[in-house]
Amino acid sequence: MSRSPLLLRFLAQALLDPQQRRRLSEISFQDAGHGFDVFGLHPEWVQGMVALFQPLYKHWFRVSSHGAQNIPKQGAAILASNHSGMIPIDGTMIYCDVVSNTDPPRVPRPVTDHFVPALPVVSSIYARCGTVGGSRGNVHALLERGELLLIFPEGVPGIDKDFSERYQLRPFRVGVAEMAIRHRTPVIPVAVIGAEEQFPLRLRLPIHTFGAPYVPLSPIPLPLPVHYHIHYGEPLNLYEGRSAADADDPEIASAAASQVQAAVQALIKRGLSERKGVFT
Amino acid sequence: MKGALVTGATTPVGAAIVAQLLKDQVASPVLAVGAESYEDVKGLFPQPEVIYVQADLTRSRELRTLLFAPAKAHNVETVIHTALHRAAHATGSRVHQLNVESTRELLRLCEDHPTIRTFVLRSHAEIYRVRAVEPEIIDERHPIDLSPQIAQWLRDRAEADLTTCASIGLSSLSIRVLRCAECLAPDTGSQLFDYLGSQICFQPLGFDPMINLISLPDLARAFALATVAESSGIFNIPGKDTLPLSVLIEKWGQTSVPVPSVLLSPLYWLRNKVIGSDFVYDLNRFRFHFSAVMDGHRAERLLHYTPQSAIMWPAH
Repeated sequence: MSRSPLLLRFLAQALLDPQQRRRLSEISFQDAGHGFDVFGLHPEWVQGMVALFQPLYKHWFRVSSHGAQNIPKQGAAILASNHSGMIPIDGTMIYCDVVSNTDPPRVPRPVTDHFVPALPVVSSIYARCGTVGGSRGNVHALLERGELLLIFPEGVPGIDKDFSERYQLRPFRVGVAEMAIRHRTPVIPVAVIGAEEQFPLRLRLPIHTFGAPYVPLSPIPLPLPVHYHIHYGEPLNLYEGRSAADADDPEIASAAASQVQAAVQALIKRGLSERKGVFT
Repeated sequence: MKGALVTGATTPVGAAIVAQLLKDQVASPVLAVGAESYEDVKGLFPQPEVIYVQADLTRSRELRTLLFAPAKAHNVETVIHTALHRAAHATGSRVHQLNVESTRELLRLCEDHPTIRTFVLRSHAEIYRVRAVEPEIIDERHPIDLSPQIAQWLRDRAEADLTTCASIGLSSLSIRVLRCAECLAPDTGSQLFDYLGSQICFQPLGFDPMINLISLPDLARAFALATVAESSGIFNIPGKDTLPLSVLIEKWGQTSVPVPSVLLSPLYWLRNKVIGSDFVYDLNRFRFHFSAVMDGHRAERLLHYTPQSAIMWPAH
């Protein structure tokens, strides 16, 4: 689990062209001394996972990226996205999209729900690719290190939506806004269009192994080959006109969270109006 | 220059601290306190500035005599308390007496002492609670593991730490609690050292947490810096090596064998019965699943401590 297994190296060789491999070899990270950062990220794993998901990203979902220039080239920032699609394929596609469309390539640090670090195998693979558990301390530490965070402020209720409720955001948790104000960090609203339709039918098995709220199941074995559109909005500087201490004010934090939600909802609306069809 | 007193001086950590205090010229003379007789440890302290004192810290009278006779006579200003039972299997009231009650008594006597001004406790990163929901980067405000099922080895360490912390601000002493990363060296009470003593190291299947380790030179340097620091309080003392458990096993030259988590406790219980190792899986269960790396910013800012020396990996 520690080193990039041979399979991932092979995938990187086989699926990435030399230019992509050269780009991804430039991934910068804060090495804690043995080739890993303190959270367990390893650049070879990032390269291998981007290669592994390349066929999905390029050929299955045919991801179109819009506004990636809004992602800061350096420094702490938070990508706040809508969440959907039964399983977090949307997170993986945003991850691949950010790595592919930033120069030099930036590795977003997805922040997962509390139960994810308790999942065997998944937790280790996620950690090698840069994912961290969703605790306040982890987010604080990453922002202090100038990392780019990927957060789904809807949480699990976002991914749990029924098909009839697609593109209707669940209430955003205030943590993102609070952290952005406290750390003087821009929030980049992100809208993923397409993921809501990838699993139109779903079941929830009431199995709570490792603390998961349920086990998702779909009668369709594979996600439908919908066309993903990922839109990045203009950065929101929620801290402007607010002091770091304002992050402790529940009303201010709540208002800032609503501001982020409104920005994501507006991006979704724009994205839906611009797309020609679910599969095209 | 004022003197210092180091308890547990005959352990590798204690001896390294004694040597570092003299090397950095932060204290002289140094009273090295151990349970062993002078004959047994004669070669351990070749320095002329070291005065070896044999004392049983679990006996209140001996403790009082130690502080109010040789320590007072040599103008001791700093007490560095590192003595505690290292064996994880050692339990009972006698073990508790050394681990906790002697710390409490030592602290109380230091408060009444005419020359002692500073009390430094060696505490341990293992006392922090490690769970899936907790942050992976641990600062000094991180919760301590006080769950009812923890073993005495951990509970005593937590109690000694909190006993000392409770006096910060109340006592006339300047108290510094150094919560140190695990020191991967023999006879230091390191559970990981015992774990790595086997050629086959069983690891929870599907988990590979990040672990931070400190070298003996860094540990000794942190105590020398704490001796002369002006700030009091709690300080995390991380080491230079932060790596996944599987890489640690590999660098130590052993073989990692992933095993379902539920089998690890009985497997290691069986191994202890057959081979007699001091490694207790249940003490390490959570940190073998979830990452825990100490944040040393406070020590960097106030003690000017940054880790410098990496672990000496065995040649293989």
